[in-house]
Amino acid sequence: MSGALRIDVLKVHGFGHFSGYELELGPGLNLLYGPNEAGKSTLLAFLRGMLFGFEKRGRSESRYEPEAGAFGGELCVSSGAGPLVVRRVADRKGKAAVTVFSPEGHELLASRLDEALAHVSRELFCEVFAFSLDELSSFEQLVEEDGVSRALFAAGLRGARRLPEVEKHLEKRAGELFKVSGKNPELNQVLRQLEEIRGKLDALKDRPEQYFQERERLASLGRQQEEAVARQEQIARELGRLSRLEAALGELGELTRLRTELAVLPDLSAFPPGGEGRLEELLQRRTKARAEQSRVEELLSTGGAELARLSAASAVREREEGLRLVLGAFTARAELLRALPGRRAALEARRREVEQALGGLGLAVDAAGLLALELGAAARGTLESLADRLAKAEAERREAEVALGRARVERERIEASLARLQAERTKLPDVSAAELRQRQAALSRSRLLRVERDQVAAQRAEQQQRLQALRAQAEPEPGAAPAPWLVLLGAGMAVVGVGALALHSGAKEGALALFFALLLIVPLVLGYVRSVRSHQGNVEAHAARQRQRAQELARLQSALDTLTGRQLGLERELAAATSEAGVTPEASTAGLAGADAALAEALRQAERVEHLGREREAREAERDGVVREAQAAELAGRRADVQVRTLRAELAALLVARGFPKELSPQRALALWRDVAEQRQRLADLGADERALAADEAACEAAVSRLLEEAREAGLPAGPVEAVAARVASALEELKTRDAEARTLRARVDEWVGDRARFSRLRESEEQALAALLARGGCTTEETFRQRARQAEHFEALTRRVRELTWRIEAATGLEEPAAREAILEVGGEERLKEKLAQLRMQEPACAEHLKVLHTEYGSTRSQLERWEDDEELAALRIQEEQLKARAAELATRYATDRLALALLARARRRFEEEQQPRVIQLASEHFAALTAGRYRRVFLPAGGKRELRVSDARRDWSAEHLSRGTREQLYLAFRLAVIQDFGETRGALPLVVDDIL
Amino acid sequence: MRFKFVHAADLHLDTPFRGVPAGSGLTGAFQQATFRAFSRIVDVCLREHVAFLLLAGDLFDAKDRSVRARLALRRELDRLDVAGIQTFIVHGNHDPLSGDTGALGLPDSVKVFGADWEEVEVRREGRVLCRVQGISYPEAEMRENLSARFLRTGPDFTVGLLHANLGGVEGHANYAPCTVEELGARGLDYWALGHVHTRAEYTLAGGAVAVYPGNPQGRHVNEPGERGCVLVEVEEGRTWRRFVPVDRVRWHRLEVGLTGLGSLDGLVAAVTERVDASCPDELEGHAVRLTLTGRGPLHRELSRPEALGQLEADLREQLALRHPPVLLESLRDASLPELDLETVRLSGGFSGTLLAEAEALVADPEVLKALWAEDAELRTLGQRLRRLGVDVLEAPRPELVEQAGWQVVEQLHEEDAS
Repeated sequence: MSGALRIDVLKVHGFGHFSGYELELGPGLNLLYGPNEAGKSTLLAFLRGMLFGFEKRGRSESRYEPEAGAFGGELCVSSGAGPLVVRRVADRKGKAAVTVFSPEGHELLASRLDEALAHVSRELFCEVFAFSLDELSSFEQLVEEDGVSRALFAAGLRGARRLPEVEKHLEKRAGELFKVSGKNPELNQVLRQLEEIRGKLDALKDRPEQYFQERERLASLGRQQEEAVARQEQIARELGRLSRLEAALGELGELTRLRTELAVLPDLSAFPPGGEGRLEELLQRRTKARAEQSRVEELLSTGGAELARLSAASAVREREEGLRLVLGAFTARAELLRALPGRRAALEARRREVEQALGGLGLAVDAAGLLALELGAAARGTLESLADRLAKAEAERREAEVALGRARVERERIEASLARLQAERTKLPDVSAAELRQRQAALSRSRLLRVERDQVAAQRAEQQQRLQALRAQAEPEPGAAPAPWLVLLGAGMAVVGVGALALHSGAKEGALALFFALLLIVPLVLGYVRSVRSHQGNVEAHAARQRQRAQELARLQSALDTLTGRQLGLERELAAATSEAGVTPEASTAGLAGADAALAEALRQAERVEHLGREREAREAERDGVVREAQAAELAGRRADVQVRTLRAELAALLVARGFPKELSPQRALALWRDVAEQRQRLADLGADERALAADEAACEAAVSRLLEEAREAGLPAGPVEAVAARVASALEELKTRDAEARTLRARVDEWVGDRARFSRLRESEEQALAALLARGGCTTEETFRQRARQAEHFEALTRRVRELTWRIEAATGLEEPAAREAILEVGGEERLKEKLAQLRMQEPACAEHLKVLHTEYGSTRSQLERWEDDEELAALRIQEEQLKARAAELATRYATDRLALALLARARRRFEEEQQPRVIQLASEHFAALTAGRYRRVFLPAGGKRELRVSDARRDWSAEHLSRGTREQLYLAFRLAVIQDFGETRGALPLVVDDIL
Repeated sequence: MRFKFVHAADLHLDTPFRGVPAGSGLTGAFQQATFRAFSRIVDVCLREHVAFLLLAGDLFDAKDRSVRARLALRRELDRLDVAGIQTFIVHGNHDPLSGDTGALGLPDSVKVFGADWEEVEVRREGRVLCRVQGISYPEAEMRENLSARFLRTGPDFTVGLLHANLGGVEGHANYAPCTVEELGARGLDYWALGHVHTRAEYTLAGGAVAVYPGNPQGRHVNEPGERGCVLVEVEEGRTWRRFVPVDRVRWHRLEVGLTGLGSLDGLVAAVTERVDASCPDELEGHAVRLTLTGRGPLHRELSRPEALGQLEADLREQLALRHPPVLLESLRDASLPELDLETVRLSGGFSGTLLAEAEALVADPEVLKALWAEDAELRTLGQRLRRLGVDVLEAPRPELVEQAGWQVVEQLHEEDAS
């Protein structure tokens, strides 16, 4: 986008010594002049600052920040895209951000200013567009400085306006990727990581070689381990053997001693074991058997005497069976006997109570009569049925009476209503409503007819007027046709004239005159023909109009006739309608309205009369219905009355038959019935109870008399029946006890007899056993037996110990006694055995320790190998290495591309400059030639590496540094003007601000 | 007699994949891929009942120092040994004899050729089935034409097993250099070559063939497409060769044109479609480099800072969720601005001069070399990179000049476009 900018107004809020200063600039050249320190250079700095930003703090000499008040200002500028207001005011931190507004005060994007400035860089603007005298010669340095130089040349490079930015961007991007001595750029980081990984990989050394070495070592360790295990086992075996021999040494010594002791004793191995104990036991058992036998004899003698005593005879024993029976009978009834007086008293009381209740009922029967009465369920059913039917009949009778009363009242109401209707009817006249409606219709029809008659009359008058007007429009006849004689006269006069002239002036003139005469006659004839044609047209038009008028007259006349006929017809209809309506045909509209109102009133009354008639008929029908209802109610009442009377008679008969008062109401009769039935039931129950009591009394009496009799016969003392019964019972109980005792004693005597025989056999067997024992011990007396038994015991203990020691030696050494003694001798005796043992005990732990070390080493080597066999670390490092290498390659490619792009740009620019000397240089040549008045012709940039400006006249060329200061300044001015011109033409004109340049 | 053998090379067991981030979910699949590819080669041998397996160098990479690689090699060769299938191995520049191969303890059926020429007879039922000749690299650098040491010794079918650069293929170090004619002159029937990672086959004089099977598993974006080994069937001295793919993860370089795409959503859809069409389901994973090409309005949008990176991250996340998963190695923008460079060139001005200058540089390698050498920073960076094993700046790259030219022109015109 091309830019353009003109500064219209500058407002300084505060800058240098300016404060609240405002200056309006006109188009074209604006010259500001003033003495030294007036602020000309300050304004230059202000403009630069406003457009590109103020200098940063810390460079106070060029910052122009006032000591107090606002720092900044405003510019009103005109740009290609319209006017803009540029404001730049520093905040508290001294930063002065730019804000851009439209003249209306709307804030715009800050980039609008850059666009207006055609994206010119600050350096280029300050050095080319806004410079001071001091800076004029500094251009030389700037040409060499890359930034402005590039911008300068870019200004002339078509299609490469963004060249400086692109170069900067590429350099930045390449710098972000890699720097030779950098740390942070991405590629530097990747390379560093790669180096680290390489370091780690190198540290891991040659893994397979290590692996195979370690595998060899593992095999050797395995072999060593096997050897060590074998050695350890051997030591353990020897140690075990010798330890066992050592353990058996004590037993062997004791065994020798015991064998010596045994040699002095006789062989008592056949003596009965535990002989003395067995002897004592046998003696004791014999004594015990003897004592038991004598005790049983004694028991048998006392038992016989007791048995004789218990079996003695008595009177009670002889009658035992009879006594038991009568006592049983008495005992069974004893309870009943005691209850008899109470029961009788209670029965008496109940009888009295029933008789009282019966008397209270007020019946004409006693107890016996009551029991004879027939009060069964059938009779009671009959009574209940009668009561029901009676209640029903009475209810019907009441209903009929109520209905009758209601019918009477209703009838009275209807008759009153009828009387009222009649009274109203007599007040109304007798007129037919139909007739009145007919008259009303005729009246409205006559009104319509009158309106229509008036309309027809009006139409007729209008037609008559139109007829008369048509008749009055008489059109004059068209005039007569133009006469042809005038033409003939003209022609004749012409002929005469011509003839006269011919005679007078000769033939030639005559011929000429004839010619002119002919010229006159022709238009005359033509005019005549046209007027004749016009006249004929007028005559035809007139005739046509006359025909039309006659047709119109005929049409109007016939319409008038039709209207007259219609009027007459309407008059007739009107006369008929008015006579039907009962008014005169000439009656006025008001008269018609009055008649209409009277008819409406008469009609309303006639309709009321009709309504009353209908009402009366309805009331009469209602009255007939009520009369019928009253008759029916009366009939029903009579029927119910007859039934009530019949039922009452039936009830009375039923009650009298049961001794009930006959006047009782059915409900009362039913209640009394229930009471009587209840008392009769109680009476019957009482009779039954009395009979049961009498039976019980008789039975008790019999039992008592039999008991007393049996007691007396058994010799028991007499007395009250209860005491006698007790005595009988105790006598029987005593007898039973004695019998039981005798049975027990007899059984025990039998048992004692068996015991006596058993003990006798036992004693004999014990004595035999004792004899046999003494024989086995080889003794005749008990005392000698005891002595030998003690010797045998000692012999047994020694033998047992010898056996035990032999076993222990076998268990400890695994050898029999002689073999063990042999083995000890083989070792070299006891002392030597102990020495060897001590040696082996020292060797054993050392061997175990060695084996343990071998085990540990083997295990660690093995796990190390397993780790290497599935080595993730190395693989992971290699993956990372490859990853980083790939990344490095990619980044390096990108970096190389950027570097190549930069190199390419440089080459392209050089070539471009060489091939197409920039336009700026061409323009500079022109300006320089003009400034030096043709002394120098050309400014140019030599091809090649160094970017220096050279000037030449027609013959030779100089480097700028060889020119005088004045010429050099002219050269730089020319160059600036060239840039300004080129910039203005290609990208838009920017203001030129020069300070002290002249 | 009729027999079969399998020819594979450049296993590069356990070498890291380039462009696979260490922390990504696919790292495991990629790390195992070389092992699995080799395992599948062995499966092919077992299935086809081949007579022997040829491994033409670079079984692993000495610089990886991987123990796993050596153990895996032994494990797989043990399987062949059990099945009675012989294996012939020569070592190449990445696994020269000076390495640690001796300590591995390979089974008896494996023949590892030494640094001197040697020939081994393969016998079946007492008759010579085939002769296999081979030489291993004693050191990594082998500038001698080793093929010259090979020669036919008998009438039987003869195979030459060698790690060599036939015809000076670019992109691979020129080790054991040889030519088609030289190989043809040795009179062998089949040259089982290794070193060049792209599958290739050369017909030699007398009907013999020289075959590069390529590496069995692509490891970076410059090894795209299917990878595997060659199954060779021999009858009466004639061979029938069949390529058998064994790779489990596959690399792709996909281009997506911006032309006609108006929105990023449209671009994502186009990418998805392209990936769908190129990545078959039967593999365990894919790695993709996407390059945006053509001209279109999106070019400008994507040239915003971070825009491409953001799109790349989004796409990476989306593609990783597919089945099988797809790893986005990188998203590159090679699209052109809507600016018509031809018009710019023709319209002259500074941009025209610049483009002409770029063309001149591309056309004249000497000038470009001088320019490249002039830039001290570039030189320093190149040296530092070389020390770290990155040779990207070794030689001047004309395509970078071209690219730089477009970029600058585009930037110069940026304001006009805005």
